[in-house]
Amino acid sequence: MSVKLVSEVGVGTIAAGVAKAHADVVLISGYDGGTGSSPQTSITHAGLPWELGLAETHQTLVLNNLRSRIAVETDGQLKTGRDVIMAALLGAEEFGFATAPLVASGCIMMRVCHLNTCPVGVASQDPRLRARFAGKPEHIVNFMTFVATEVRELMAQLGFRTVEEMVGRTDRLEAQRAVTHWKAKGLDFSKILYSPDVGPEVGRFCSIKQDHGLDKSLDLTTLLGLAQPAIDRGEKVIAELPIKNVNRVVGTITSYEITKKLGAKGLPEDTIRFRFKGSAGQSFGAFVTRGMTLSIEGDANDYFGKGLSGGKLIVHPPANAGFKAEDNIIIGNVALYGATAGEIYVNGRAGERFAVRNSGVTAVVEGVGDHGCEYMTGGRVVVLGPTGRNFAAGMSGGIAYVLDQTGKFAEQANVSMVGLEKVESKAEIAELRAIIEHHVGYTGSARGKQVLAAFETFVPQFVKVFPKDYKRMLGCIEKAESQGLTGEEAIMAAFEENARDLSRVGGN
Amino acid sequence: MGKPTGFIEYLRELPLDRSPLERTKDWKEFHVHMEDKKLRNQGARCMNCGVPFCHTGKLVSGMASGCPINNLIPEWNDLVYRGLWKEALDRLHKTNNFPEFTGRVCPAPCEGSCVLGINNPAVTIKNIEAAITDRGWEEGWVFADQPKVRTGKKVAVIGSGPAGLSCAEQLNKAGHTVTVFERADRPGGLLMYGIPNMKLDKKEVVLRRIKLMEDSGIKFICNATVGDNVEPQIFLKEYDATVFCTGATQPRDLPIEGRNLKGVHFAMELLTANTKAVLNGGAEHCPIHAKDKDVIVIGGGDTGTDCVGTSMRHGCKSIVQIEILPKPPLERTADNPWPEWPKTYKMDYGQEEAAAKFGADPRVYLTTVKKFNGDLAGNLQSIVTVEIKWEKNEKGQFIPKEQAGTEKVRPAQLVLLAMGFLGPEQALIKEIGLETDTRSNIKAEHENYTTSIKGVFAAGDCRRGQSLVVWAINEGRGAARECDRYLMGSTDLP
Repeated sequence: MSVKLVSEVGVGTIAAGVAKAHADVVLISGYDGGTGSSPQTSITHAGLPWELGLAETHQTLVLNNLRSRIAVETDGQLKTGRDVIMAALLGAEEFGFATAPLVASGCIMMRVCHLNTCPVGVASQDPRLRARFAGKPEHIVNFMTFVATEVRELMAQLGFRTVEEMVGRTDRLEAQRAVTHWKAKGLDFSKILYSPDVGPEVGRFCSIKQDHGLDKSLDLTTLLGLAQPAIDRGEKVIAELPIKNVNRVVGTITSYEITKKLGAKGLPEDTIRFRFKGSAGQSFGAFVTRGMTLSIEGDANDYFGKGLSGGKLIVHPPANAGFKAEDNIIIGNVALYGATAGEIYVNGRAGERFAVRNSGVTAVVEGVGDHGCEYMTGGRVVVLGPTGRNFAAGMSGGIAYVLDQTGKFAEQANVSMVGLEKVESKAEIAELRAIIEHHVGYTGSARGKQVLAAFETFVPQFVKVFPKDYKRMLGCIEKAESQGLTGEEAIMAAFEENARDLSRVGGN
Repeated sequence: MGKPTGFIEYLRELPLDRSPLERTKDWKEFHVHMEDKKLRNQGARCMNCGVPFCHTGKLVSGMASGCPINNLIPEWNDLVYRGLWKEALDRLHKTNNFPEFTGRVCPAPCEGSCVLGINNPAVTIKNIEAAITDRGWEEGWVFADQPKVRTGKKVAVIGSGPAGLSCAEQLNKAGHTVTVFERADRPGGLLMYGIPNMKLDKKEVVLRRIKLMEDSGIKFICNATVGDNVEPQIFLKEYDATVFCTGATQPRDLPIEGRNLKGVHFAMELLTANTKAVLNGGAEHCPIHAKDKDVIVIGGGDTGTDCVGTSMRHGCKSIVQIEILPKPPLERTADNPWPEWPKTYKMDYGQEEAAAKFGADPRVYLTTVKKFNGDLAGNLQSIVTVEIKWEKNEKGQFIPKEQAGTEKVRPAQLVLLAMGFLGPEQALIKEIGLETDTRSNIKAEHENYTTSIKGVFAAGDCRRGQSLVVWAINEGRGAARECDRYLMGSTDLP
C-alpha cells in the first residue's frame, strides 16, 4: 500500500499519520513533474522540491520511531544517478522515474497528451500516430542501466555498500560553496541536513514489515473457510453471520482467492451467498467478483462496493425497523467508486458521490446525495427517489434513470455532458421494469413495490440521463454494425468517427 | 497553434521552382510563390511544440541546429495559418532584419531541427518566411523608419555584407549616425556579388533593402577601400565606435601544378564578375565566361553550386563538380540524429539544371585534383583527377588517401575553385593592430564582440570564419547591441 504525498511544508506530519495507518510506502512527490496534459499552473505552481519534503518526512519519521516500518519513496524529475544518491542521503530508499524513461523511449515533451495528437505516438489513440512510436523496452533498460551504473560508482566513492546504509546520511552531504549567485547568500541548509539525535535502537530505514492485521479480518477468520468448498469444488455455500463496523473490506480476500484460482470469470452466479446482520464497516464488498452475493440486513459504511468486479451486493433494513427505508440513508458516501461489473440493490438512500466512476455496474438505490454518477462511464443506475445537486457531472457513459416525482431533477443535474430524456422505447421500459423487479425480489423494497404496482403511470416520471457522447457513440456503433462490422471492429470504427466529431464534449 | 491536427492532415509541400531548362535562359530568380491557401495549410503543419527546437540556434556537433537568430517560428507559422500576414511580418521582423534574404538563401537549420522532422518531412519554415516577407513588401508594410531621436554618436561599419547591414540597421534604430564603408562599387557584400542573381535578385531584393536603409538615415560609401583610398586611422579618430564586418574573403587555394594556367579561377572571381556584368547590361560581357567550355567546379558546397548555375546560364559545353567527401546518404545516419543538421543528399538548383540538360547530377565524389594541364600558350586544357579514400592516420584523424590507378584526365577549359574560405584578409587587421585568433579571425568573443582595441567591434565571418548569412545577421545584431551598450552605458537592443 503506497500513499503519495505532495512535497509541502508539514508533509512530515502527514507521513507520520500514513505510517501509523500501516501504509507500506509513502511517496514524497516533488513539484516539477506532471504529465504533458497537466495545466501550466499545476506544473509550475504546485508543491515544493522533493528535497525539502523528503528531508522533513525522514526526520519526522525517525524522531517518532516510525521510519523503520515504512519505506520512503521520492520522485519529481529524478534523472541521474546523482539524483538517486541525493535522494537516498536525504532519506529515501525508493526512487520514482517517469519523464526520463519516457523521453528515453521517444517522448519529445510536446505537452499535448490530452489532445490525441502526440506526434511520436506515445500518448495517442490515433492509429496513424501510434504507428510512429519508435521506442523499445531496451531503450529504458539502457537508460536505467546508466542510472544504476552511476549510482554504483558514486556509492563506491562514498564508501557505501548498500542503499540502506545511505538512507538519511545527511552528514555525507554538504552545501556547494561554489555557488556564487547573490541569491544563494541567504540560503541556510542546516534544517535540510539535520540528522535527528536518536539512539541506535531507532531504525533509520524500512526494516520491519507493516502489520496490516489482515489475519484478524472477517475474511481470513471466517469467510474464506466457509467459501472453501465453493472455491475448490464449485459447491454452493450459504451462511448467515453477524457483522460490525470494525469489519472493513469484507469479502475482498475471499474474492481474491476466487480470482486467483478461476480468473476474472469467477464462479456461477450466487454460488457463495453470505447474509450479514448488523452494520458493515468501510469498503464492504470491495472488488468482489462474480459468483459472490453479499447481503446485509442493517446498513453499511462508506466505499460500499468500491471497485465491484462482478459480485452482487444487497442492503436492506431489518424487517422490524421503525423507519421508512426510502427516506433514510442506509449506505455511506462514495459507494461503487470505480466499480466495473456486478449488481447492487439498496433498499434506502445512499450518501454523496454514489457510483462515481462506475463503468459497468447495474445499481438500484432509493435516493442519492450530491455528485451522484459523477464521471460515470458505463453501467445502469436506477434512482427511485431524490438526488442531490451536481448529478451526472462529467458523466460520459452509461445511463441513469431517475424517478423525478417533484419535477425538480433538471435543476439538480449537471447537464454539461448529458441530455435529459424520457424513457420511451418498449425494450427500454421492459429493461427498467426488470431491474426494479430484481430490486424488489432481493430487498422486498416497499418503494419498489409501489412503483411496480402502477408502473405505467410511473414511467413518464422517470428521467433518462443519457450522456451526449455516449449516445452518439452508440449511434455510430449501430451504424457500423449495419455496415457489416462486428464486435471490436465496429467499436473501433465508431471510435474513429467519434474522435473527429467536433460536437464531442468529453475527452478534449 | 491554430490547428492541432494540421501535421496529420497536410503533407509537406513546396512551390515548384521554374523549370530548369527555362530558367537557365535568364538570370531571374528561380523561386516561385505559392498560393495563399496552400501556405496556410503548410503553416498549420507546425505543431507549436511543447519543447521546440526550430528557434534555438545552437551548434550541435559543429553545425547550426535551429535558427541562429531565434526567429519566433511557431508564432508566425500560426499567424500565417490564421491568415494574419501583417502580424506574422511584425513577429518576423522582431528577430530578423532581412527575412527577404534568409527566406531565399538560408540553408534552413530550423527545418533540420524541426520536431516534426523526427518522423516526417519538416515544416516548410523557409518558404513560409519568404512568403511573409514578400507579401509585406508587396503590401507596403516594410518602410523606411527614421529614429525619432539621434544620440549624436557616430559609428562606422566596415563592410556591407549581411553582418554589416544588420549591424548598421540596429545601430541606426538606436539613434546612432551610421556610415557603412564598402569597397565594391555596390553595397551588399556577398549578398551583392557572392550570391548569384537567380538565387537573390540584386535590384529587386538587395538594392531595394539598401535604398530603404538609406532612407532611414544610414549612409553608404562605396568604392571605399580602407587602407587604400580611406585612411584607416580615421575610424579611431573620427568615429565613436567602429564595427568590423569585413567577412572571410580569403579563398582556399589549390597550389598544384598548372595552377597559374589561364582558365583557373577562384569561384568568387567568376561570381563577382558575372553579377557585375548582369547588372551592367548583360552576362555576355562577363570577362570570365563558360560558353562552350568544359567547366570543372572544385568544391561541392553552395558556392560550387552557384558556379554550376552560373556556368549553365553561360551555356557551358559540359560541367563536372568535384567533391572530396563521399556522397551523403539519402536518410540521416545513426551518428547524425535529429536535431543535428541533416547531412543528407540534396539536389540544389545548379545540379538540377545540369541534370536537366546533360542528364545527370554533375557531382563526382571522393575525388580530388592532381594537376592542371595546359597548352603551350598557357591555356588550361584538362585536369587530372584521382579518386581518394578516407583513412585514419596514426593520430586517429581521417585523411584522404589517393587510390593508385584511378587517375583520370578530364577536359577543362575553365576551372573554378570553390573550396571554402580561410578567413579575413589580414592587411587591414594588421594595419589597425587588431589581435587575431589561431584561425586568423579577429579575436572577439561571440555575444561580446569587443576586440583588442577599445571601441572597435567585430562581427560576422571576419570574427567567426566563413559561415551562414543567418549567423552574420546574428552577429551583426549582437555587435550593434554591444556597441550601443559601449556608447550609451546601457542598451535596449535585443
